[in-house]
Amino acid sequence: MNHARKLSVLSVLSVLLFALAAIGGLAACGSSDSETTTGAGAETSGAASGGQATTEGPGAGERGKAGATTIVVKNGEPVGGVQDLEYSAGDQVRFTVDSDVADEVHVHGYDLMKDVPAGGSVSFSFPAEIEGIFEVELEGRKEEIAELRVNP
Amino acid sequence: MSFLPLAHALAARQDLPVPAWLFAWGASIVLIVSFFALSVTWRAPRFEEGHWRPLGAGLSRALLGLPAQILCAAIGVFLLGLAIYAGLRGTEAPDRNFALTFLFVTAWLGFPLFSAVLGDVFRPFNPWRAVSRVAGAGFAALAGQPPAHLRYPERLGRWPAAIGLIAVVWLEVVYGASGGVAVGLSPHTAAIAAILYSAYTLTMMALFGTEQWCRTGEVFSVYFGMFGRLGWFGSRDGRLGIRRPFSAATRWATVPGSAAVVIASIATTSFDGAQEGAFKGALESVYNRFVDWGLGPTAAIRLDDTIFIALTFAGVAAVYLIGVRGMSSVPGAPPLRKLREGFAHTLIPIALAYLVAHYFSLFVFQEQAQFTYLLSDPLGTGTTDLFGTASSGIDFQLLSANAIWYVQVGALVVGHVVGLTLAHDRATAFWGDYRQAARSQYWMLAVMVAFTCFGLYLLSVANG
Repeated sequence: MNHARKLSVLSVLSVLLFALAAIGGLAACGSSDSETTTGAGAETSGAASGGQATTEGPGAGERGKAGATTIVVKNGEPVGGVQDLEYSAGDQVRFTVDSDVADEVHVHGYDLMKDVPAGGSVSFSFPAEIEGIFEVELEGRKEEIAELRVNP
Repeated sequence: MSFLPLAHALAARQDLPVPAWLFAWGASIVLIVSFFALSVTWRAPRFEEGHWRPLGAGLSRALLGLPAQILCAAIGVFLLGLAIYAGLRGTEAPDRNFALTFLFVTAWLGFPLFSAVLGDVFRPFNPWRAVSRVAGAGFAALAGQPPAHLRYPERLGRWPAAIGLIAVVWLEVVYGASGGVAVGLSPHTAAIAAILYSAYTLTMMALFGTEQWCRTGEVFSVYFGMFGRLGWFGSRDGRLGIRRPFSAATRWATVPGSAAVVIASIATTSFDGAQEGAFKGALESVYNRFVDWGLGPTAAIRLDDTIFIALTFAGVAAVYLIGVRGMSSVPGAPPLRKLREGFAHTLIPIALAYLVAHYFSLFVFQEQAQFTYLLSDPLGTGTTDLFGTASSGIDFQLLSANAIWYVQVGALVVGHVVGLTLAHDRATAFWGDYRQAARSQYWMLAVMVAFTCFGLYLLSVANG
């Protein structure tokens, strides 16, 4: 009886230890992820987007607060897929949309809307004061062109 | 291509993933709490008895009397009617139409949240029950006898509600998704679905009796009522009373298929939370495979999502059934079937925690819309401004990302504790010997740790 009880306590302990180790592992993965993303988010808005044509000029790693990202729209779709714009709360969000189609660019949540003419471009600059993830969309086409992330 | 969680079609904002440090803290607290749970010492069940005390007769009459019943029923029928009307006649913009926010946020999320505190608050407002009761009373007056009903097949139990629950979520997150364009379920489709569901429900109520169908088949009664079992208030023989919280849950799962309802709840919430996070890569690769096989984008996305919902359900069920199987190996265990039904209610707090963790922010933000512009301009056509609030918006700064994270992780930890409490309590009722009861709970502990850590994991990779 006593022996059996000891055994089961041991087995539970080992299960919990295993769970702890698994969580530790997950957390480690998670934290390395978050370090890279928050690190990038603080200084750059365009580096995470990975699109070739999306950042203008040299020194993409140092843009963000000062520089601006350009989202290029061809045939009504963002070149290089949906672009990531990452900022910390309080930063100034700056980006430009270069579009070959006329539409209205809508930044959800912040509820900013600007028309872009075919072959023209439109620029946004506003403080990142709402935390969360927001869609940037070509309103007429309902096409998501960028995802704006504002971290606390 | 986009995979759209419930929030996406309605709200302009999505939650940031829970940061790693909070994930680690949450998981550590869960494990510490669980260690503590191993040494808990109460040896006789504390929740099995109702501990129900009646409230004042005047209050009871005011809240449960015929005038209150008629008023609540009228409100319920009116709101369902308004939602259907807005869906059919209003704008097709999901976020500007009363129908979607009311049906899928205010009612679908609001009733579980309020029921979990107050008890079953849906029952008096249930529009189908109201219509069916009036029809039944009309029939009785005309025919001189109450309507006769078919005998409800006992073995069917709550399975119709479990399947219905999955169907409701399927309609919102799968049917509403479409290839390429980022639109959710259209208000028009939601209205049609509500009409079809009403016809189906009233038919079933006519066949099997209003109360019988509410108890076992009517999706919303069963689903909201499940959370209501956690709440403080309940009625007995027409008298309103206050009871020990969670105690009514212990008698919930006595109907077959109840475990399926609570598992369906956990599974569908998990799926919705995982589709832009944990499952994103897998969903995309299966989608691409389907498209390669020549499926259209919309068909591919629907089939893909459907398969993953089924897999999630199977996975959640498997974890629970492994726990049950494990408990049955402890000497003195009741039959497997009794165990399976006997611990299903311990998952209700987990299901509620998942709901809060995934939809709390959506609920807070979207209710601002519900009570301002959606109330003043339910059709979203810009033609009415009933309360002068048609031009208000949602204040997304109401909740900071940190506040949302704490609520999410806090909900999971609290749900974990309540689940463990109910499981321990049930074990002391099932096993006469305290030591065996405690041993059986190593298994439920593992089940709860699995669900809670999975929940935390989903949050930490959400919208990645």
